[in-house]
Amino acid sequence: MNYLKQVITVTRWEFSRFFKPKNEALGIIIMVLTSLVFYFGGKYAFSDTDKKAVIHIGAEMDASLGEFLGSHYVVKEIPKAEMDSFIEQISHEKEGILLETEAENFVVYAYKNTRAIKKLKARLTEYHQQREMQKIGLSHDELAALLSPATVVESFVYADNSGKRVVLSYFFAGLMIMALFLSFAYQFTAITGEKQLKITEQIVSAISPQVWMDGKIFGISFTGISSMLTYAILSIVGGMLFFQFTGMPASGILDYLYLPSIAVYLPFALVGIFIWNAILAAIASIITDPNNSGKSSLMMLPMVFVIASFLVIRDPDNGFSVFLSWFPLTSATSMPMRWAITEVSYLQLAGSFITLLLTFYFLRKLAAKIFRVSILITGKEPSFREVYKLSKLK
Amino acid sequence: MQKTVLSVNAISKGFQHLKAVNNISFTVGQGDIYAFLGPNGAGKTTTLRMLLDIIKPDSGHIAWSLNGKQNQLPAAGQIGYLPEERGLYLDIPILKSLVYLASIRGMEKAAAKKTALEWLERLGLADRAKEKLQVLSKGNQQKIQFVASILHKPTFAILDEPFAGLDPINQEIFIDYIKEINKQGTTILLSAHQMPLVEKIANKIFLINKGHELYNGDLTGIYQTFGDKTIIELQLESPFNETTFLNLNGVENIEIVDDIHAKITFGQKTRLKDVLHDLTKIEGICDVTSHKPDLHEIFLQLVKKQ
Repeated sequence: MNYLKQVITVTRWEFSRFFKPKNEALGIIIMVLTSLVFYFGGKYAFSDTDKKAVIHIGAEMDASLGEFLGSHYVVKEIPKAEMDSFIEQISHEKEGILLETEAENFVVYAYKNTRAIKKLKARLTEYHQQREMQKIGLSHDELAALLSPATVVESFVYADNSGKRVVLSYFFAGLMIMALFLSFAYQFTAITGEKQLKITEQIVSAISPQVWMDGKIFGISFTGISSMLTYAILSIVGGMLFFQFTGMPASGILDYLYLPSIAVYLPFALVGIFIWNAILAAIASIITDPNNSGKSSLMMLPMVFVIASFLVIRDPDNGFSVFLSWFPLTSATSMPMRWAITEVSYLQLAGSFITLLLTFYFLRKLAAKIFRVSILITGKEPSFREVYKLSKLK
Repeated sequence: MQKTVLSVNAISKGFQHLKAVNNISFTVGQGDIYAFLGPNGAGKTTTLRMLLDIIKPDSGHIAWSLNGKQNQLPAAGQIGYLPEERGLYLDIPILKSLVYLASIRGMEKAAAKKTALEWLERLGLADRAKEKLQVLSKGNQQKIQFVASILHKPTFAILDEPFAGLDPINQEIFIDYIKEINKQGTTILLSAHQMPLVEKIANKIFLINKGHELYNGDLTGIYQTFGDKTIIELQLESPFNETTFLNLNGVENIEIVDDIHAKITFGQKTRLKDVLHDLTKIEGICDVTSHKPDLHEIFLQLVKKQ
């Protein structure tokens, strides 16, 4: 039985062990339900905010303020004699806003500081600015010209760094984090579980440690990738529904899905996930007791590198971002992110990808060697030093 | 002439300060049931792991010759292995596990499924094929483990402590299974420390203690070489006094079992008639039985000589 056939057998086994369509479907249903609850719950909870809010003002207040506020609020006047009782009513009923003026100042009474108060303050600032400009004798047109933004004619060499691309690159990083979390969980369960169930010796008597390790890397990577793709498709469908509900065309989602970036992301993400699975498998191989091992925390290592990739978004063209897009532990996410939001030469893209592939090739070999060494050490958990020493033996 | 399928030449293996296997050599012929015998920690499992290349010997050479092919290590499909450390996927259906373990040894899935179901039928577990292994009793789990090691019909099966953890009835059943697969053409190399069981199936044995060879050859040969002695088991009325018996003719060894029981081994040239005559002169003997040494007793003799 050749290497490839054995690897395919182990890969399929590992994939079927962890990829459970039923669980996947259940996860999706929970996610859809949660989204619906958030969407419709939010709509219901904030349904009042769509209506004009009611604001009470003193009856003797400047008419122009009442008029100005009238375009944004339902304005109700309160005679001065009733003000105190209204303020008391606010504290009992925990709602209502009362506005009055003292000389040049505005005074607001409300139960607590809310978004509505912040909005009101913004309106009052606007009113105040208009009043001040009128005082210095500016005409309406002059005022409009004064407040209008500067006209800038833009001419960029690279003009595709829209906010939509940034959203896409965040989406890439998010999917990668998800795949890594799943890989972490499955790789840990698979390897430490087999060690604890004492299956390892039976398996390595039939296949080489390299076949075993490769099968695990591929099988569990594909499990993570399957979930990643499922949720990516679900997010796209969710995005389309969101657009539809919010009055935009569902096809608007296509503006976010820039195909060349996706085409670059997929192979980079695939090899990146393989790399991290090789590293996770190697760490899991030297863990004897997952509940008490100090090495378990090392399994969170990949997250540090994926999160570091977010730095690329701040300035994709500076030296550190370029480094991140070449360094094999970050390039799987950083390079597609840079590719989405700035101009990257094909040569850089190819060079980074080849580096990534070579790193995977050597890491899987190292992982198999560590596994082979770690099964020789029984009883106590091997230290990194012991693993290193043994790995130098034949 | 019997064909040699495994030839082991002067292999040694040490772990830190312990020499687990020390310069041992043996050959296994096609069709043999070859038993590796020794107490716990004798070096049996280390030797078997070296044969499978799970660990490498420090020195020496291992040569396989299965199905006419000279290899350092045969293909996975030619070898069956029952490890000393038993383990299977507890949370996966029995049939699925068996088919997977056979398929990584190169057996086609359909054939593996068919053979697995035949074995499960024989074990009376066919109706539980889709259940998870964890629901089976320990004895049944052991049987499944055994089936997993020979399901793919290997040319050569290595069974490390196949009788460990089995009750006497299941030990007999396993003896029958081993004999059966041997008849079907599988050469067997097993390790054990239950010598009476090994006597029932092995044709060749290797006695090992503390990594050293004590005996290597035919089972019949060991009786011819070391078994032509007489062992007298005595029961006395009062506590056993060793000096009383040391002066008897031909005494080689005295083993005190307890206060009033002892086993005395007489040399090859000693006649039973003379021994019994001498014993009649000693007072306080309530019971006397005699027999030729079994494998266990020969092993103990050899360990003492070592």
